[in-house]
Amino acid sequence: MNGIGTAAKRAGLKTAYGFIYKLRIEKALAYRYDVFSGIIMQCIVMFANAFFWRAIYSGYETVRGAAVSDMLTYTIISSVMAVFLATGVEQRVMKSVEQGTVATDLLKPIPLFAIYFFEELGTITASALLCGLPILVVGSIFIVVPLPADAMHALLFACSFLLSFLINWLFAALFSLLAFVTINMSPLLQIKKHVLRLLSGGIIPIWFFPQWAQNLLRALPFVYIYQLPLELYIGRLSVPDALRQMGLQLFWVLILLIVFFYVQKRTMEKILVQGG
Amino acid sequence: MDAITVKHLTKEYRLTKKGTGLTGAVRSLIRPQKVTLRAVDDISFSIPEGEITAFIGPNGAGKSTTVKMMCGILKPTGGEILIHGKNPAKERTQVVQSLGVVFGQRTQLAWDLRLGESFELMKHIYQIDRGMYEENLKIMDEILDISQFIDTPVRQLSLGQRMRGDLVAAMLHSPKVLFLDEPTIGLDVEGKYAIRKFIKEINRQKGTTVILTTHDLGDIEQLCKRLIIINKGKIVEDGALDELIDRIAPCKNLVVEYYDENYVQHDKAQIIGRNKNIVTYQFRKSKITGAGLICDISDRAKIKDATIQETKIDDIIRIAYGREC
Repeated sequence: MNGIGTAAKRAGLKTAYGFIYKLRIEKALAYRYDVFSGIIMQCIVMFANAFFWRAIYSGYETVRGAAVSDMLTYTIISSVMAVFLATGVEQRVMKSVEQGTVATDLLKPIPLFAIYFFEELGTITASALLCGLPILVVGSIFIVVPLPADAMHALLFACSFLLSFLINWLFAALFSLLAFVTINMSPLLQIKKHVLRLLSGGIIPIWFFPQWAQNLLRALPFVYIYQLPLELYIGRLSVPDALRQMGLQLFWVLILLIVFFYVQKRTMEKILVQGG
Repeated sequence: MDAITVKHLTKEYRLTKKGTGLTGAVRSLIRPQKVTLRAVDDISFSIPEGEITAFIGPNGAGKSTTVKMMCGILKPTGGEILIHGKNPAKERTQVVQSLGVVFGQRTQLAWDLRLGESFELMKHIYQIDRGMYEENLKIMDEILDISQFIDTPVRQLSLGQRMRGDLVAAMLHSPKVLFLDEPTIGLDVEGKYAIRKFIKEINRQKGTTVILTTHDLGDIEQLCKRLIIINKGKIVEDGALDELIDRIAPCKNLVVEYYDENYVQHDKAQIIGRNKNIVTYQFRKSKITGAGLICDISDRAKIKDATIQETKIDDIIRIAYGREC
């Protein structure tokens, strides 16, 4: 195939991805009642955390450099982030393996995980509106209006959150490959979801953890999923520090990308040899 | 030109043998016993462009494995496949662009979308330009009449409707080769008729090469000139349906009903049964035609009725399955 042909193919694929994205949004909007349980769950966690922080902070101005209002903001934004960071790729792969549709997915002249990624983006776009927004509103009314430290930190937060989304998704996609070796991974998924949120500072910031745990967790990619964007949002990091941390975050994105592609290729190779 | 060339294709699966009972289960957990299963064993054939070929064999003969290897979703252990000169094991994405595939037992349509949306999705994935897409849809709608359920979600379609939808989805990008894995399975008479008409029409209008695996002998009789029979991973028969019938069943029977019990002997036919005035002759097709035999007999005696009995295709296939290489 010549260069022009490939370029045209790329452009064509872009519209294919766009179409997949659009279809997913439509589907999620059609099944909009599914999100209610999600909203309620997130709100329960959010309120519980908010009460927890208020109780702990009674009588103290700041603890480890963070005021109570910071922690409340942290909690609300963390709950909203959880909506964006809830991945469906594991379930998607698990279902395909169960029903044997991996074979038909492989018949399409388009990379398998590219389809899954754009489906995920579609679902998330819809749930941001249906689920994220209500949580933000409820949090703002009943807890505190979660304002960012300043405009600069809001911008840093946005960039960092984009990277943390990628880390989270790549990790989930990597995890989803387990579906090809285990029969039922639903329990594993539940464990993964909660452990991930805990280790990444999504519930309690890791600066409240013992020193050794902090050192350990800082060497892992998880803190870059929840904690870094949240720290940026409440303005705990100076701009140079923030940029340095985001550099590390980018480094993790690249590492996971490489690992994912490698493992994915190996797994697919194995499926092609053993049969789906 | 050959659309498909298969040379010395072999596929082996490594299976873990499970022990029976608790001790067996524990033993296979500690030291799994691996067994090699040869699903496809050194098969070679080629299929010219524009031909409809049936690929048949008993369950577990290796048909689906072969089809999967031809689609590039399974890698051969040995041998080579070329589809219009391209190897699906190496250039999967390029090969699938020129393939249409329908698995009768599973759908390619998105369960939660309307049928039309599924077609749109195919249009984007295969990058079909609007002109071709609309023309193909029009042609296929004329044969399969899909417009009446194009706005129905796929999950609400009947099996017959879903199958039609699957066929359309597989042909939207005008593939040169179409693989159909049991396309008429579980369909009613009307559904089967529609699917067969579609395959015939598509083959005639577009010159699509069609490979069909089926257990339905009606499909073979009505669609395929050529038949490849596979059993235990090997090709046991490959050739025209008529030739196969001639070879496996070289004789036909002629049942003649006379007015009385006087009957005729013929040197080219053997009498294999007689019941009063009804006589059954068996003759070799290579020696005399049925019409010739009836002519000769009616010259010598008055006959009331004559029926030629063909060996049923089911029996021929069964005989072919029964034979090893």
